Amino acid sequence: MNKKLIIIVGVIGLALFAYFISGNSGEKVDFNEQVRPILNKNCLGCHGGVKQQSGLSFLFIEEAYEAAKSGKRAIVPGNASKSEMIHRIKSTDPDLMMPPSQEPLTPKEIEILEKWIDQGAKFETHWAYVMPEIEEPLNIDAYVEENLVKNGLSFSEEASKETLLRRVSIDLTGLPPTLEETEAFLNDTDPNAYENLVDRLLSSQHYGERWAAMWMDLARYADSQGYQKDRLRKNIWRYRDWLIHAFNQDLPFDEFTIEQLAGDLLPEPTEDQILATAFHRNTMTNDEGGTDDEEYRVAAVIDRLNTTFEVWQGTTMACVQCHSHPYDPIRHKEFYNAYAYFNNSVDSDLSSDVPKKVLFSPAQKAYRASLKKQIESISDTLSDEYKAKISEFVSLKAGAVPIMEELKGDSSRVTRVFVRGNWLSHGDTVIADTPDFLPPSEYSKDRLGFAKWLVDGKNPLTSRVIVNRFWEQIFGNGLVYTLEDFGTQGVKPENQKLLDYLALRFQNEHDWSLKSLLKEIVLSRTYKQSSVVNDELLEKDKYNYLLARGPRYRLTAENIRDQALVASGLFSDKVYGPSVKPHQPDGVWNVIRHVDRWTTSENGDQYRRGLYTFWRRVSPYPSMITFDVPSREVCVSRRIRTNTPLQALVTMNDPVFVEASEALAERMMTEGGTELESQLKYGYKLVLMKEPDDKRLEELVKLYHTSDGAMSLVANVLLNLDEVIMKS
Amino acid sequence: MKILNELQGRAQSAMKRREFLKNTSLGLGGMALSGLLSNVQAKQVMPKAKRVIFLHMAGAPSQLELFDYKPLLQKLDGKPCPPSLLKGKRFAFIQGVPDMLGPQFPFKQYGQTGSWASDLLPNFSKVVDDVCFLKAVHTEEFNHAPAQLFMHTGGPRLGRPAMGSWVTYGLGSMNENLPGFVVLVSGQSAPSGGKSLWGSGFLPSHYQGVELRSKGDAVLYVKNPDGVSRDLRKEAITTINNINKQEYDEVGDPEILARIKQYELAFKMQMTVPEATDISSEPDYIHELYGTEPGKISFANNCLLARRLAERDVRFIQLYHRGWDSHGSNNFESLHGGFLERVEEIDKAMTGLIIDLKQRGLLEDTLVVWGGEFGRTPMQENRGGVSNKFKGRDHHGEAFTMWMTGGGIKTGMTFGETDDIGYAGIRDRVHIHDLQATILNQLGVDHEKLTYTFQGRDFRLTDVHGRVVKDIIA
Repeated sequence: MNKKLIIIVGVIGLALFAYFISGNSGEKVDFNEQVRPILNKNCLGCHGGVKQQSGLSFLFIEEAYEAAKSGKRAIVPGNASKSEMIHRIKSTDPDLMMPPSQEPLTPKEIEILEKWIDQGAKFETHWAYVMPEIEEPLNIDAYVEENLVKNGLSFSEEASKETLLRRVSIDLTGLPPTLEETEAFLNDTDPNAYENLVDRLLSSQHYGERWAAMWMDLARYADSQGYQKDRLRKNIWRYRDWLIHAFNQDLPFDEFTIEQLAGDLLPEPTEDQILATAFHRNTMTNDEGGTDDEEYRVAAVIDRLNTTFEVWQGTTMACVQCHSHPYDPIRHKEFYNAYAYFNNSVDSDLSSDVPKKVLFSPAQKAYRASLKKQIESISDTLSDEYKAKISEFVSLKAGAVPIMEELKGDSSRVTRVFVRGNWLSHGDTVIADTPDFLPPSEYSKDRLGFAKWLVDGKNPLTSRVIVNRFWEQIFGNGLVYTLEDFGTQGVKPENQKLLDYLALRFQNEHDWSLKSLLKEIVLSRTYKQSSVVNDELLEKDKYNYLLARGPRYRLTAENIRDQALVASGLFSDKVYGPSVKPHQPDGVWNVIRHVDRWTTSENGDQYRRGLYTFWRRVSPYPSMITFDVPSREVCVSRRIRTNTPLQALVTMNDPVFVEASEALAERMMTEGGTELESQLKYGYKLVLMKEPDDKRLEELVKLYHTSDGAMSLVANVLLNLDEVIMKS
Repeated sequence: MKILNELQGRAQSAMKRREFLKNTSLGLGGMALSGLLSNVQAKQVMPKAKRVIFLHMAGAPSQLELFDYKPLLQKLDGKPCPPSLLKGKRFAFIQGVPDMLGPQFPFKQYGQTGSWASDLLPNFSKVVDDVCFLKAVHTEEFNHAPAQLFMHTGGPRLGRPAMGSWVTYGLGSMNENLPGFVVLVSGQSAPSGGKSLWGSGFLPSHYQGVELRSKGDAVLYVKNPDGVSRDLRKEAITTINNINKQEYDEVGDPEILARIKQYELAFKMQMTVPEATDISSEPDYIHELYGTEPGKISFANNCLLARRLAERDVRFIQLYHRGWDSHGSNNFESLHGGFLERVEEIDKAMTGLIIDLKQRGLLEDTLVVWGGEFGRTPMQENRGGVSNKFKGRDHHGEAFTMWMTGGGIKTGMTFGETDDIGYAGIRDRVHIHDLQATILNQLGVDHEKLTYTFQGRDFRLTDVHGRVVKDIIA
C-alpha cells in the first residue's frame, strides 16, 4: 500500500469509528460513561460543589435544571436547542463561550451533550453508589477470561511450582518459605498439595503479621505522637498485637470494623474490644509549648473522619471540609453531620494522651494463661524452672493504651459547621447523620451506629472498597486503581463484574471472612499464572490491568528485610510484642533535644520482622522509608513503588543487610556441601527456592574468584538480585 | 564502569528510547526526564533560577534585632502594650498585658541603599545592596512545627510534600549522581518539624530530601562495608547486573532495566557524594571567607557545602540552623544569650556564601532565600503573666523579615513595610504562599499548575492560594 492509500483507509476507519461511538444510530447516551466525564473535565470546576458560578451547579440534579442567575435554564430536559448550556458551548463569542479561556468542547462532545438533553437529560447515579448486583455468579477466572477474550488475550500458563511457592508464601505470610518448607512442597505429589500449602499458610501465625503490616498504613500506626516533641507512645504496640491477633483469628471483617471504630460502645465490651479502638487514637498529638489544644483536637477528629471514609468507603471526605465536594454529590454540611459521629470522644490533644486504659494485649493474655497452666503443673516450687516461669509471668505487664471513650450526657459536644473549614469560624449546629448519597442509617447516632451502618450489607461501597484493597495487595493493582477514591474522579474499574462478584461473595458467602476471600483469590487460575511478559502483552496491557499474566512487583520494605533475615537464618520468629530497634546508624535520631536514644535491641529482637520496627514519626526508620513505607502521619492507601539508587545502597551497605549477607555466606559454607558450586547453589536456593542455571552460576563463581573468595559479597549479590527484590 | 555502560547501552537500544523512559518507573536518575515529561504543563517561562538555596533559621530569629529598625519601639520600651494590639489575637505564650520591648541593639544604615542593619551583623551589613529585603512577610501559624511545615510544605499539618520535593518532582534532577533535593542541618539539633519538613508526603519517596550528614556517612549507607573496596563493589554490581540482564531476557519486565540503571547510579553516587561533601579540599581564602572549620557541624560548613552542591547542579539545597527561639525563658533562649551566638554563627557564613556565589557567576541562576518560620513580637514575652527573667520576645506571624537574592530577584531593594513598632505589615505584605509561588516562578514553574492527585484531590504547594510577587522580580 502506498502512503496515500493508508491515509484514505485511515480516514474512513476514523469516520466509521466516530459514527459508531457517537451512537448516531439513535442509541441512548450513557450518562456515566459519556456525559459525566465531559462535565467533570469542563464544567464542574466552576459549576460544581466548590463554585456555583452564576448560581449554576451540575452536581445535584435539582440545581442543574433550575434557572441560573441570568434567568435562563442551562438544561431544558428534552430540548437541547432551548438549553443555554448548548448555546454557550457552541458560541464563538468570547463573552459567552463555555468553557471560558479553555479549549472548546469537541464536536463529538457537543453532540453527546445535545443528544443527552434531547433524550431527557437524565442524571444517573455513579456506579459505585449503586448496590452491586449479580444474577448468576460465576467465578474469578470466568470474569477475568471474559475480559481477556474481549481484548484478544488469553491466560498465561501456570507459573512453576518454585515461583508459585515463593509468591503465595510472601503474599499470605509476608515471608519466603524456609528450605524445609520448600523441599516439602516441591516433593509433595498430592494433587491437593497447593491447596494444602495455602491452608497451612493461612493458619500460620505469620499470616496475621503480614496483614497487620498492611493495615498499619491505613491506621497510620506509629510509636510516637508526631510534631515538635514527638513524644513516644510506649504502649500503643498493644493495638498492633490486637491487629495481628484479629487477623490470625480471622475475626470477621464486620466485627473487625465495629470493634476498631466503636468497641468501647459495645454492650459490656471486652478488654480486647476496647483495645481495638486505639485504631483512632493513632492520630497525632501536638505537644509543642503554646499550641491550642482545641485546634489539634479538631485536627485529630477531622483526621478520624477522613480516615474512616477513605478506609471503608473509598471516599475523599477531606474535600468537603471547606466546601461541597467538587465532583461528588456531597454537601459541605454533610461533612459536619458525619463529623458529629466522631466529635464526642473524651480525648483532647493532651500530651498524656488520656483517656487510656491499662490493658494486656490479646497475645499477652493467651500467653499468661498458658504460663499459668505450666506453673500450676510444676510441683516443685523451688525448682529453677518454676522460678523462671514465675519471673516470666511477672514480666508480662499490662500497659496504659490510648483508647476511645465517649462523652456522656451534659458533657456531650455540640457540633457546628466550620465555615470554609476554619475551626474558629462556627456556622449552623448539626446532628450526626450519614451522607445522603449513601443509604440512610437506621442505627444509633453515635460511633457504634455509624460502624454498624458501614457493615450491615446494604452499603454499596464497603465490601467493594475492602476486597479491592486485598486484591491490590496480591496483584499489585486494585480492580479500581484508585483504592482511596471510588468517586467520580477515581479510575473506573476495568472489570466491574469481577469486583461486584467479589464484593457480594465476601459479605454474603464468605461472611466477611478474609481468609476465605484470600483463599479463593490465590486458588484461582488468574493468580497462578506465570508473570513472564512479552512485547505483545506489554503493548496491549502494560500494567497488567487485564490480568493475562501473574503479578510481578517489587517487594515491600518489610518483605525485603524479612526475606534477608529468613534466608540468612538470623530471623527471629517471635510473634507479637513491643516494638524493637534494629540497627540504625548513629545520629539519625538526633531530632529534638532530650529524647530517648536509639539503642539496638538485643537477644534476637534486633532480627524481628519489619513490622515491629519502632516507628517514630519525625524520624522514621531510614531504610524502610527508602523502600516507600509512608511516614504514617496520615492514612495512606497505596504505597507508590519506586526504584532508586538509594535502595541499592540500602541492600548493599546497610549493616542489617551486611550482617545478613555474612550469615547467609556462613550458611552456604557450612550447610551447602564442600564444593563451591554446591555452596552457591545452596545459597541461591535459600533465596529463590530453586537452583541457578549454568550462566547464573558461572557469574557467581566468577565473582567468588575475583573477590578472592569473599562469600559474603557473593551472598550480598544474591540478596540484591532483581528476582529476589521482586515477587514474580 | 565500562561493562556497566556497555550493558546499559545494549539494554537501551533494545527498546525505543522514549519507551524506555516511560517504562523505567521512578528512579532518581530516570526521574530527571520522566519528571519533566509528567509535569511539562507546569513549566511556563524561561526559568531565571536553576536551583535554590534556602537558609532556614529554625526557631525564628527576631527581625527587630536584625533588620526591622523601629526607633519608636525604643521609646515605648517598658510601657504596657496597648489593648488594641491584644484584642482578638492569639499568642503562643503571652498572657494578660505584656510590656513593649525596644530594639536591644543599635542599628545603622549601610550601602548605597541605606538599608538598616543592627550592629550584630558586621559582615552582612556590607552586602545589603546585594539582596532584596521582604519586611512584611506574614504567616498564619504561630507554633514552630506547624509554621515550619507551612513554610516548607504549604500546610501546617504533617503529610504534605516539601518544597524541594515539589521542585524535583516538577523539574527533575540536574545531576543524576547526586540527590536532587539535599538537606543540611546545623545548630542545636534538627528543626521542630523534624524530617517531615523534607519528607515527600504523598509524592513518591524518591522525591524526599536526602540529608547530608556532618558526622558518619554523608548519605546513609553510601559507604561500602569494611573489606569491600571500590573495585570489589564494581565487580559485585557487574555480577548483579549481568544476572539481572539475563533475567530481563527471560521474563521481559522493563522494571529490570530500571533496576540495572539504579545500581549503576548507586555506584556513581558512592564516588560523587564523598567528593562533593569534602570541604577540606577548599583553599584557605575560602575557609577564611566563610569561617569554616572542616570536621565541625556548623552553619558555616553547610554554607560552603551548599555552594559546592550548587556548583554540581543540585536542584534544591535546604539548610536548617536551629536555636533562635528567644523567649527570654532562659539564657540560651534570650536575645542577649543564645541569640547573639546564633547571629555570630551566621553573619560571616551567609555573607561569604553570597560573595562566593557571586564571584563564581553562580548567583545569577541560584536563588538564595533566608528567614525563619515566623517573627517575634514587639512585646516582651511574659508567660504566666509576668515578664521573663531574660530579654525575649514571643512568636509572631503577622510581620517578619526575610531576604532573597540571585535567581532573577531584584537586588538593592526593600519590599514591604511594617508599622512604627513592627507589629503588622502596612504595605506590600507577602504571605508564605506568595513566597512559595515566587520561588516556583523563578524556577520557571507555574505554582497553580504543579499539582499531584492524592486522596482524590489535586494538591499543590500553595494550596489554593499564592500570587507571584512581581515587584521583586528583575
